[in-house]
Amino acid sequence: MNSAQIDLVYTELSQCIARVGEAKTHLFLATLALDLLSQQTDAEGALEHILKAERLANM
Amino acid sequence: MTGTHFFPDKVPVLIAGGGPVGLSLAALLGQYGIQCLVLEADASWCEGSRAICISRRSQEIMAWVGADEALRAKGLSWVGGRSYFRDTEVLHFEMPSEPAQRFAPMINIQQYYIEQYADAASLRAGCVDIRRSSRVTAVRQLTSGVQVDFQASDGGSRSVIADWLVACDGGRSTVREQLGMLLQGVQYEGRYVIVDIEQDTKRTVERLAWFDPPSNPGSTILMHRQPDNVWRIDYQVADDEDPLEAVKPENVLPRVRAHLDMIGETAPWKPLWISIYNAKCLTLPSYRSGRVLFAGDAAHLVPIFGVRGLNSGLDDAGNLAWKLALVQKGHAADALLDSYSVERVLATRENIAYGAKSTEFMAPPHRGFALMREAALRLALVSPRVRVLINPRQSSPVEYAASRLNEPDDAAAFSGGARGGMPAPEARLHTLQGAGHLTALFGSSFVALYFSDHPQALTALKASVECMRPGVAALRIVRVASHGDPDDCSVVDELGQAWERYDAGDGTLYLIRPDGYVLGRWRAAADAATRMNRALNRVLWEIDDEQRAN
Repeated sequence: MNSAQIDLVYTELSQCIARVGEAKTHLFLATLALDLLSQQTDAEGALEHILKAERLANM
Repeated sequence: MTGTHFFPDKVPVLIAGGGPVGLSLAALLGQYGIQCLVLEADASWCEGSRAICISRRSQEIMAWVGADEALRAKGLSWVGGRSYFRDTEVLHFEMPSEPAQRFAPMINIQQYYIEQYADAASLRAGCVDIRRSSRVTAVRQLTSGVQVDFQASDGGSRSVIADWLVACDGGRSTVREQLGMLLQGVQYEGRYVIVDIEQDTKRTVERLAWFDPPSNPGSTILMHRQPDNVWRIDYQVADDEDPLEAVKPENVLPRVRAHLDMIGETAPWKPLWISIYNAKCLTLPSYRSGRVLFAGDAAHLVPIFGVRGLNSGLDDAGNLAWKLALVQKGHAADALLDSYSVERVLATRENIAYGAKSTEFMAPPHRGFALMREAALRLALVSPRVRVLINPRQSSPVEYAASRLNEPDDAAAFSGGARGGMPAPEARLHTLQGAGHLTALFGSSFVALYFSDHPQALTALKASVECMRPGVAALRIVRVASHGDPDDCSVVDELGQAWERYDAGDGTLYLIRPDGYVLGRWRAAADAATRMNRALNRVLWEIDDEQRAN
């Protein structure tokens, strides 16, 4: 993705989080994460993403 | 020109508002020989730093009235910036710049200096009358002018008829209110306190931003160095914080102190000015209403992030001045002024789009943006590709893509360069006066850039082009040679920058507007001179006929 496309995705995701509402934000993000991770070529790559996100969230 | 209490009954142009935009417009119009009366409600310059980042384009406009030297001497130039998440750097950006450039990408300077330099330029122009402590009270459109009532500095009520009124009277424009015109768009809730402090520092001049810094957890802080040992500090206040409480020194100073301590700026300091701000994306749908024109904050309000406020106001002045001068001098039909509105409303729409994007990151308008910013900042620590989201999207010149002034472009003939409606590119040149820059040719009249290594071809071109009009309507023809010696009609592109940036071949012809925008361009066509004449005449006289035909 180029810069403009990353920008577009960021905005759309932000707006979508607002649309689904606070109560369903966790479910929405978990669904999105599983959808994207299932498209990884192998589990190793997916697990790396999970651990990275966990590390960053716990900062 | 006038006594303190004497006012003329009639003026060609009345400018409501003597801030940086109004005074710059007055200086430009004065330079073009148009008499102006400027009415400013305040007694003196603005208080506080306010708009502090002056773009390269704005410096170029200030240069048209000879204000660039003072600006350069006083201002602090910079080319980039750094952003931090907590105390770790997550972005280092640099704006385009090159050795021996005419202007830095950005200069930091307090707004009151811009007002002083524009005021001095107005006085140098010789036909500008600036009256302070003079407040516009009523505006009435007449068939062939505008009646403006105002309260003069002596307290008395006066009235003047102007051929044209330009509203440069700011975000709370009295002129706009008098005509019942409303700004349209959105305002954001997130607020920033803005503080000027005086403190000695040796730190590099650059834009500095901290997200969630340990000094002020949860906040966002921006810092810019300014002349006179002044720091400009902007910080975000919590959504539930009372704005009146937020600007009290007892609430502001501890936060500033904590941050200065955190970044190791330990020299003694004192506060100079405190204010508060929230982002707005508002514009009038049109910047012309009969014989009234709108510029700067009176026409549009854009977010502070990306520094598009004053810079777009100065661009308004640069776009309007030559058109108004041509109309007032009788060289063009008043329909030319409609193109001012079309082009600058287009620019505002683009500025608002960028400004809104910046605001969504700097002051997230809802929890979706707030949550995503948290994620982006964390991810930026380890993933360079998301760092683009943190970039402040600094002001850059806008292309007037849809302007009817643009000549149709022969896209097949050019693979680069600048088409009609784009800012004319810069290039370093060898001139009769020594090393110089191509953009120094702009600002006073139309310019034809003729790329050719054959001096006799310039003579032939001059013989077939109408260039005897006076003042801003004149056409100055300059040959850009790739080698040889400069003369009073030729410059030499020793580095090859101009030929490359204009995608020029021998015989290529560019027509540049007085505000440094490309009007049209032609390859080495035999009828290039005829087509350029036609383009110029269309702008100067025939636009009315074309509009009627449409």
